[in-house]
Amino acid sequence: MANQETQILDDIVATSRRKMLTFGLSSLAGLVVGASAPLAKAATAYTDADILNFALNLEYLEANFYYLAAFGTTIDKANTASTGAGAPLITLSGTVGTAGTVSGGSKVPFTTIPVASYAIETAVEEGKHVQLLLSALGSAAVAQPAINLGTSFQTLATAAQIPGGSTFSPYASDATFLVGAYVFEDVGVTAYHGAAPLLTSSANLMTAAGIMAVEAYHAGLIRTTINYLDPTGAGIGAYTNLISTLRAALSQAGLLGVAPGSYDANPDDFGLATFSVSLGGDVNATATRLTDADSTNVIAFARNTTQVLNIVTGGGAVMGTTHISPATGVFFPAGMNAGPNGFK
Amino acid sequence: MDKLSTLIDRGLSRRKFLAGAGASAGTIAALNLAGCGGTATMTSTPPTQTFTDADILNFALNLEYLEAQFYLYAATGSGLASYDITAGSASPYQVTGTVTKGEAAAVPGLTSAQQQILNEIAFEEQAHVRFLRSALGSAAIPMPNIDLSFFGPLAVAANITTAATGAGSFNPFSSFDYFLVGAFIFEDVGVTAYSGAAPLISPAGVAAGYLTAAAGIMAVEAYHAGYVRTSLTGRAIAAGSAAAYPYLGAANLVEDLRATLTVGDSGAPSTASSVETLLALPASLTSPSSIVAASASSAVGFARTVDQVLHIVYGSPTVGVKSGGFFPNGVNSIFATTTA
Repeated sequence: MANQETQILDDIVATSRRKMLTFGLSSLAGLVVGASAPLAKAATAYTDADILNFALNLEYLEANFYYLAAFGTTIDKANTASTGAGAPLITLSGTVGTAGTVSGGSKVPFTTIPVASYAIETAVEEGKHVQLLLSALGSAAVAQPAINLGTSFQTLATAAQIPGGSTFSPYASDATFLVGAYVFEDVGVTAYHGAAPLLTSSANLMTAAGIMAVEAYHAGLIRTTINYLDPTGAGIGAYTNLISTLRAALSQAGLLGVAPGSYDANPDDFGLATFSVSLGGDVNATATRLTDADSTNVIAFARNTTQVLNIVTGGGAVMGTTHISPATGVFFPAGMNAGPNGFK
Repeated sequence: MDKLSTLIDRGLSRRKFLAGAGASAGTIAALNLAGCGGTATMTSTPPTQTFTDADILNFALNLEYLEAQFYLYAATGSGLASYDITAGSASPYQVTGTVTKGEAAAVPGLTSAQQQILNEIAFEEQAHVRFLRSALGSAAIPMPNIDLSFFGPLAVAANITTAATGAGSFNPFSSFDYFLVGAFIFEDVGVTAYSGAAPLISPAGVAAGYLTAAAGIMAVEAYHAGYVRTSLTGRAIAAGSAAAYPYLGAANLVEDLRATLTVGDSGAPSTASSVETLLALPASLTSPSSIVAASASSAVGFARTVDQVLHIVYGSPTVGVKSGGFFPNGVNSIFATTTA
């Protein structure tokens, strides 16, 4: 894998620009339609670097959340806890766009080893993703944008109709931390899933697929743990349904009225509520939903960049049937950073 | 969605590749094989093969048949429906295989929550079988012979013994904890198999959505792997020590065996030359867990070549092997013989 990683920069440089319209993939549905709608951006050429920079914005968000929750610090400032865990100290070397600050967030007063140890592991891994993408992109890397990890959660929790949402904090307890983590992980899977087929370099594709697998491991971890703590869905298990419903609604709006593709069924998100399945010939049974995937083919969902932007900005990417760029709001109060042809 | 057979008819997806090429080159495989006491019958150069996207998806279908049968038996005591295992009319393989059940049976003593989880995974692997069969249409292979009694010999090879683990003889259908170890055999491998196969899909296959589908199935395998690893870790933490929960150690012995069988990248788990990450038992609120199987340097998930996957499911590190382990008559695939 090491060779593959060191090849990434070369591949990005060597990758030729090409038109979005040459791809008929479902994951591009929202963007492709823009070519016939008032969206000059849709015919713009983009590169693998633009796609990896989109991912880098998301990794900045995730890594800072987990660093704050696990260690009480951001990714660019080491403390005893982060150093002790072997979490990488990130040099914020990205320069494209406008650098911002990270607001909100604090160390979770963990009381159980499983949740604390998962938080630490995930922080370290998301930190490595930031490090990898920064290294791969080099001077083409975007700066860390302004990130809100405080009031953003109350805004989302309120929109999701979580009881007491206006005071919800993912930093309050082991349980609320899991809910906060739940907000991110399935989205990471769908974002990499939507982006992977757009990459032209096979080395980049391998890396994106590998990161996507890690996001899915994390998502499986979070969903399993919530299910274990609340198997009947009376508490935080029910919150997952509310969050998934909100994400599905924001994602659908991000399609800008276009029908979803083969693997973009709507709703494209499921919480942990059980569902009925038929096993073997005709054995009917009740199943958990530890996997976030469609109920027919059980293929994880894919989302295009507008759908992802609309989720992480709480609806900031769409006004009616118009794509708003840069999308701002919730986790990205000043929007993501991107190159001239990138996604924000 | 287009049927793959349509693509093949158009002649769009045929191309050449070195069998087993992918994450690692044949020369590296040869060196490592010698280092782990492997065979002296190495071929000097892997044969050149022509393959189609249908061949890739059919290879995956062999693995999905295996996983689906395992989980369905564990969840319900019986396997795939007869209509889910037959041959497509254009497949060169026309004999529908059978399952050697061994000790396969519904896992006893499950809580309601545990039963629902087994139901979910069984359903999802069954759905993957159906999806691939539907996508392949007439090109779909039938289920090959599958041997679910191979868990016993595998446990011996992995040194999962009563003496080593204190957990009694290994039978994944005997308890929830041993079921988790059985599931553990497959899930990380499924992730790496799809991750390794995805880049082999042709441009026409990418345009038809097969890369997206493969990536999406890979993610589901990773969700499952995350579930299994989280459960083993969480139950070990709850038990209080590795000695009190020997199944974590048993899973790590499985990893050791998988690592040995990953010809070409067969370093010990959690070392730089391996595609395995050992499970850990976090001892305090400041220790990390080890749920994710990924590179220690960059936290990128692993990939395996077709050849490496074959070595694991056949239970053999030897080159030129075309059957064994879970597939006593081999997989129904042009890739059926190990090449390195």
